Amino acid sequence: MDKSKLLFIPLALTLIFAIKPYYGGELTIRLNEPTSFTLNTANYSNLIFYSLIYENFFYLKKNGEIFSNVFQEYRYDVSGKTLSLTIKDNLSFSNGKPLTARNIQVSLKIFMNSDLFAASKLSKTVKNIRVNENQVRIELLADNPDILSLLTAPELVVLAENEQSFSGMFFPQVWEKNHHLILNANPFYAGGRTYLDKVKITFNDSTPPDIFLANPNQFKENFQEFDSGIFQNIYLCFLQSDMGQNTKIALFTILKRFNEATGNKYKELRTLTSDEESPVSIKIKTMSPQKTASILKHSETKLYILASLSNLEKDLAAFLKNSNLNIETLFIDDSQLMAFLNSAAIQYLLIDKIFQKKVPAEEKISRILKESSFNQFNARYLRMLSELDEVKFSNSQELLMEQIARISEAIVNDGIIFPLFQKNYSLYIRKVWPAMEIDYYGRPLLQKVSKNND
Amino acid sequence: MKKVTCSLLLLLFLYGSSALGQESAETLVTESAAFLKIFFKNRFDVQVAIVRFENDSELTDTAMQKLYQLLISNLENEKNIRISDLLINFANGRGEFNLGRVDDLHYLLDLKLIQNKSKTGLGLTIFSRLQDKIVSIKYFEKALSKGEMDFLNAKNFAFSELGFSKLLEFESKRNLMDIQSISGSDGREQYFFYYPDEIVIYLASNMRLEKDSQFKLGWTRPVYPPLHYEGKLLLLQTNQGLVLTAGNNFSSYAKVLAFHDSQWQEIQKIDFVPFKYLILNQIPYLVGASYGEGRNYFKDKIYFMPFSDPANRSGIYEKKAAPAMALDFSVQDGQLQAFHLIDRNYNYHLFSAEFEEQFSTPEKKGASLAALGGEWLAISDYSRASDQLFFYNIQNGGQRPTYSEKITGEIQFISAGVWQNIKGFWTGVRQERDGQERFMVQFWGKRDG
Repeated sequence: MDKSKLLFIPLALTLIFAIKPYYGGELTIRLNEPTSFTLNTANYSNLIFYSLIYENFFYLKKNGEIFSNVFQEYRYDVSGKTLSLTIKDNLSFSNGKPLTARNIQVSLKIFMNSDLFAASKLSKTVKNIRVNENQVRIELLADNPDILSLLTAPELVVLAENEQSFSGMFFPQVWEKNHHLILNANPFYAGGRTYLDKVKITFNDSTPPDIFLANPNQFKENFQEFDSGIFQNIYLCFLQSDMGQNTKIALFTILKRFNEATGNKYKELRTLTSDEESPVSIKIKTMSPQKTASILKHSETKLYILASLSNLEKDLAAFLKNSNLNIETLFIDDSQLMAFLNSAAIQYLLIDKIFQKKVPAEEKISRILKESSFNQFNARYLRMLSELDEVKFSNSQELLMEQIARISEAIVNDGIIFPLFQKNYSLYIRKVWPAMEIDYYGRPLLQKVSKNND
Repeated sequence: MKKVTCSLLLLLFLYGSSALGQESAETLVTESAAFLKIFFKNRFDVQVAIVRFENDSELTDTAMQKLYQLLISNLENEKNIRISDLLINFANGRGEFNLGRVDDLHYLLDLKLIQNKSKTGLGLTIFSRLQDKIVSIKYFEKALSKGEMDFLNAKNFAFSELGFSKLLEFESKRNLMDIQSISGSDGREQYFFYYPDEIVIYLASNMRLEKDSQFKLGWTRPVYPPLHYEGKLLLLQTNQGLVLTAGNNFSSYAKVLAFHDSQWQEIQKIDFVPFKYLILNQIPYLVGASYGEGRNYFKDKIYFMPFSDPANRSGIYEKKAAPAMALDFSVQDGQLQAFHLIDRNYNYHLFSAEFEEQFSTPEKKGASLAALGGEWLAISDYSRASDQLFFYNIQNGGQRPTYSEKITGEIQFISAGVWQNIKGFWTGVRQERDGQERFMVQFWGKRDG
């Protein structure tokens, strides 16, 4: 961010804002269309969308500050190895149903049972979760003063028993498929009612957005650009162990060619995390078009694609049709994927993962191995992860890099994940919204955003 | 060093010129006042008001208001003269007066300020309403220098005898929403501090407040968490003892509590936030409005609830108004005098007792307000950059600026109140310094009471 932008924010805060801020108005955000209201933070767009309707246990600001809107008090007792979370009085979900300590307990358990790296880290730490009136007591296996930071995961949100209840600052009101979604302000929002009355999520360019994601260094004129530090990696995963190497590389080649044909929207990715930080570079040689065609021509290939990549649907379908290849693309939600995993239905899967630049490389590689190896995760990988943990404490950067390289090589050599593309994102915010902050995960914090303050 | 010396000299010069200017202006007014005192000397309880005031000089409307105010305050000190302040506003070179009460007066005064090449004069005409004729005409003249003119034209109402000043300041817990007070049976003033979850009662002790007691309010669902806590407290001495009402922007109901058996007991819930106790057609009413849930403004209805029996909530009627950032009623002798409102665009509106709009400010000016009886109105500014407190004289239904003061911080609420027998206004001010937030309570009053 340049100096003029840094100056602009405090000036705007001191000069423009009214003592009694104006309540009302609507803000438009352009995002990918979600598949449902079930939490799915697989990509950056989703990460933003679900942060609007689900409240996080804790938020992590860019400066490292941790805060919560749900708990009036949180205290870690070293001797008892217990974190006590006291919920605020009289909280409700968006439909007015009480939001209690029991909801916190259930939400925490759901998160810990999920197949996320952050969840497994927390699960390894927690011994028990108890509820006592308006207090949730998280008992730990060992002293861990860093426990609060484990609770800042963006996937750890307050869930209701009823699917139509939301804990976030907004709740869905109208959904016009393929066009837009209207979210209304949640009158019971734990953090205090937002100034905005509505947020419109558009899925196309019909309405000029106030907030959107795009490649860095564009739209200088009317927008503030926030380098969110977020990047998205796309991987091709192979979910069965008995798949031919040629077919894997042929499919890999086709997808690389698709990116070229659509104007190289994505950057080539030659590592599992990012080219700047990885100790190893992975080179997978692509095939000639003729060889690719001959391999894929006679097989009926079903390429499953995570719904978070649904923005590729139209272009990819057109590309495959023009290539005369018999590849069927099927978009699948995270929740469906888990149900299919144990069957042989899914062989090829295109997934994406989002990362924050600041997160250490060892954490990223652990996450990839844990979350992207699916049913091929085995004892060897578990051992490698344990070794990585040990190396982390050795304080030797050299050993750490060595272990990261070993894991990367193992994953690619075993043929379970091929890295494909990477995309960096900036968050663009129209300058009429000067008070907007973004958190550590690059999500705009809309709670205190008000337009009519002049 | 040279520059500093020059600045200092300049400041001294300006100060001297201003002081002289005030003196000359005062002489013109005091001579007029002296003439009136002599004219009414042998008359008892004579009821007088200025009903026309015109300006034919280069002085601004602001300066004219100062001169008017100076004359009024001079005459107010005379025991045999009962001067009524009917000025509503001074604009475009002439005063706008509330002439609805002229029938009660004995004499009407007509003032005109004129200016020739070297001097400024004040023409004074006295009209006897009972004799239905002009009984005296007098002309006073003084040389007003350029510096004097500039001084009078400056936008500053700080005539010492009119000024409100900060008489008390102390730090409070955050989110204080309102302060109300009532005289206890021992004659000591009891102060009720209204926080979102409790009310803390203090007793006045010399120049300090001593904590006496506190009680939790125990709100129940539905609760609408706000970003900014707002609430109104009202204390009433009824036949059944002391009654308190507490409403806010996060609960869907207001509580009515009565002091029985040495403790506060909830006797009723009402669906709006009471902020005034009024007598209309000899019927006592609780008057109030509803906040937008979790928001910082009142919705567009004013509720009137007959309140002879605190436990009875029947017969509520409502009047349509505009959504408001702040609103209050000014009451004189228990009767509704006017209705003051700051709308959601931060413009001030004055309504008559019949809810007819009298005027509104074209510029954004206002966030919180409170009326002190039927005499004074305090309004805070809307901008966060430099908050201000404006004091207006609202006697006889007008609204005239008389004094303003810069405030460090942001005024969160204003309430009319009493401190050390001086009537004035409580303000809750949020201040931020070095990233630390403090909530200050201030009392603003006129030292002359």
